[in-house]
Amino acid sequence: MLFRMIRGVLLHQKSKMLLIAVTIALGASLATGMLNVVMGVEEKVNKELKNYGANITVKSKDASLLTAIYEVGEGDEALNDAYLKEDELGKLKTIFWAFNIVDFTPFLNAQATLPDGTEAQVFGTWFNHHLSLPTGEEMDAGVAGMRSWWEITDGRWLNEADENADNEIMVGAVLAEEKRWTVGETVALTTSQGKLDAEIVGIYDAGGDEDSQIFATLDAVQALTDREGKVNSIEVSALTTPDNDLARRAAKNPSALNSHDYETWYCTAYVSAICYQIQEAITGSVANAVRQVAESEGTVLDKTKLLMILITALSLIGSALGISNLVTASVMERSKEIGLLKAIGAKDRSITGVVMTEILITALFGLAVGYFMGLGFAQLIGHSVFGSAIDMNPKVIPIVAGLIALVTIAGSLPAIRMVLRLKPAEVLHGGQ
Amino acid sequence: MTKRRMFLRMITASLLRRRSRMLIALLSIGIGATILAGMVTIYYDVPRQMRSQMRSYGANMLLMPDEGETLTTEKLDGVLALLPEEALVGATPYRYVRLDMTSRQQSFTSAGTDFEQVKKTSPYFSVDGRYPEGTREVLVGKEIAETIGVKEGSTMELTYQPSVSSASGEASADWIPGAKLSGSAEGWSGGTMTVTATLGEDGAIAEIAVDASTQTEEFGGRTQTDQAFLSQFIGRKLPLRLNPDADEMVGAGVASAKNSAPEGSDQVDALSGATVSSAAIVNALNSARNADATAKPNTVKYTVTGILVTGGEEEGYVFMSLGDMQSLTGEDKLDVAELSVSAEEEQLNAYAEQIGQSGQGVKARLVKRVTKSETAVLGKLQALVFLVTVVVLLLTMICVSTTMMAVVSERRREIGLRKALGASDNSIRVEFLGEGVFLGILGGVLGALLGFVFAQVVSVNVFGSSITFQPLLLPAAVIVSVLIAAASCLMPIKRAVAIDPALVLKGE
Repeated sequence: MLFRMIRGVLLHQKSKMLLIAVTIALGASLATGMLNVVMGVEEKVNKELKNYGANITVKSKDASLLTAIYEVGEGDEALNDAYLKEDELGKLKTIFWAFNIVDFTPFLNAQATLPDGTEAQVFGTWFNHHLSLPTGEEMDAGVAGMRSWWEITDGRWLNEADENADNEIMVGAVLAEEKRWTVGETVALTTSQGKLDAEIVGIYDAGGDEDSQIFATLDAVQALTDREGKVNSIEVSALTTPDNDLARRAAKNPSALNSHDYETWYCTAYVSAICYQIQEAITGSVANAVRQVAESEGTVLDKTKLLMILITALSLIGSALGISNLVTASVMERSKEIGLLKAIGAKDRSITGVVMTEILITALFGLAVGYFMGLGFAQLIGHSVFGSAIDMNPKVIPIVAGLIALVTIAGSLPAIRMVLRLKPAEVLHGGQ
Repeated sequence: MTKRRMFLRMITASLLRRRSRMLIALLSIGIGATILAGMVTIYYDVPRQMRSQMRSYGANMLLMPDEGETLTTEKLDGVLALLPEEALVGATPYRYVRLDMTSRQQSFTSAGTDFEQVKKTSPYFSVDGRYPEGTREVLVGKEIAETIGVKEGSTMELTYQPSVSSASGEASADWIPGAKLSGSAEGWSGGTMTVTATLGEDGAIAEIAVDASTQTEEFGGRTQTDQAFLSQFIGRKLPLRLNPDADEMVGAGVASAKNSAPEGSDQVDALSGATVSSAAIVNALNSARNADATAKPNTVKYTVTGILVTGGEEEGYVFMSLGDMQSLTGEDKLDVAELSVSAEEEQLNAYAEQIGQSGQGVKARLVKRVTKSETAVLGKLQALVFLVTVVVLLLTMICVSTTMMAVVSERRREIGLRKALGASDNSIRVEFLGEGVFLGILGGVLGALLGFVFAQVVSVNVFGSSITFQPLLLPAAVIVSVLIAAASCLMPIKRAVAIDPALVLKGE
């Protein structure tokens, strides 16, 4: 009997039930979409923040600024151990947080004499270095990805895949203007160890010190200064979790943590934990967080997340009120029917049961449709804003389902109670 | 009773008697308007708020002197006046000098700066200890601290070694304050005059004494005692030059008892009747200065108040206040000023151009790494909030109209009854629309106010700053609410009106 009544309502009052289903579907899609966006936004914004460049620098333990202060000559034998090994770079992608390492590039610097007798800083680096990692992953690493703010004013980026890439250089705009160099020109760079005749393929405007420097391939600078397989420093761009108290304590001295805290810290993508793991992977290295990038990243990420959470909360409250409002309206609308049921002897409990079951079944339909609509909205936002899909988070399903159930019941209960309190005769008579 | 009064009474009666239903409708429109007003306010405010958050990445503009010009604190203030005050987050002057730490036979790049401004332009600086507050205090970069083993509270002696750089042999470094100078030069008829002077903290002459015993007493000899003549040296910085104009002299019995040159200039007037002796005094002082500036390094003992951790090259510097740096080197000179300006890239470019063309000999450069990245990230964030706003608004508005539809279609019986009593379709439509419009206005006003409160809560919680109320939003929220309420009334009324009253009344 109950079943038949419910089926009757669902079939005969199609338009009314459809209205409820549509509203619930809209509410559910809003909740699904927003929750998915909130949970995915951190990763997406984090990737966007990679625009700011490296957040970790790796140097040799023995390399110190003070060597630079003494202006020790190039290729000084005593300083040879202050380098990192180029062949260890791949190890960066073998650490625990390997997947969080988005990009990295080595640097080897040299002071080279230009044809007119003046000197300039030459950096050997990767531009778009293709790496085939032991894990089977393929990636292109290098400054092309890590200097997103460089503006190529003339020419093009140096492409390492080119055959004579080792005889090509990119020159900063200030230096190029000072020396009146143009793209296509060949410049001879000399050091006490070697000579490089390189063609200028690109001139860049970096808006900083790099504007008066020269960038060449790592191999070229290694050959120029006779330092095969060596690099001065590595810049690493990693996706990190904003620092908290634990991370700050750990950054000072990881060994002071107790084993539980240590594990939490080690297994969270804090910038200090990633630095620590890089130091473990690369012999004789010191990895430091670049606070300008790392700290600010945390601020921006936290703010964005909080903003999205609050907007989500607002829209959830809005849709919750909207749904329960509609449910209340539609239950009250059926006061006549409920009066009739009461008049022919239906118990309050069974009336409540019938009405609730009807609405919950409708809600279920709405929920199912709404969930998939919500996924659609999330993807729409993901693709149009960040150009990539937002991961579907399975955690969203129970949250949305629970929310809809709660809202539907909360919306129908007061209305049912109100209707039940009415006298059947009055209701049927049409009075209030 | 006029028609209009009847109309009003019908609407108010319907609203009053059917309180619970109308409350639901009002609530629903109110929610819609709240979300509309709140989201739109947030959408407009997010770029501004996020931009100020992005300033945590530090300076986005650098000021440097043009070639051949020097940047001074005064000039910097002049340039800063060109920028709107509310956009300027901070402006930090820097003076870089190489200082020696003789005890460890090392030298460091040292920066004189304004720490209050540093906190604004480089909020990512992390200090173990505290920033220097008083004089003779320094902040030491982590790398230096580790190398030479200093920590908070240690002291270190730093020496400024003025260098003779230019080919003409003139000292490039201006001055060493607190120094006592003594020089001599040939005066009238070959007699040697000796001058001693003490310099104040600012590097200007604080005391001067002249020994003019070799000079003719009633002429050159008066340079030793004439206060009008001697006092003009006080407060002036070396080197000085003598005003060659015989009409502008100082001394007792001369019309102008004061120096004719403006304060701060390098010109002094000769004592009336003692031009040669006056010139000798100026020469003696200048030669003393040159000899002293090249010969005597200035050493000051500093207390380390904190260790600076940044992860960048700043860890290899020693920082001190600009005042300390000036008294150490005796120059008011800046190498660069870092500006943190809260503005979008185009606006920054416009400011930079304006500064470059202001003729103050200062050029502005944007820090591309910061400006370009900020533009990219902010663009994404704004697009995100925009899309979210659109989706939320769309869904909320549909929700509102379904509720309104439910509320109205419930009254099909009433419509049927009215029709049976002879009401025209039009008058029914107008009445229901009137109700909808009334609800829309009320809900819209309520919603706009609540929405502002909501946006304010978000802004205070997320960004820690309040937002301004957009007055335009009030009419906008009301108009949208009225439109939605009216539109969602119309559909069910149309259906109800189309049906035969008998059928509606029968309950089919």
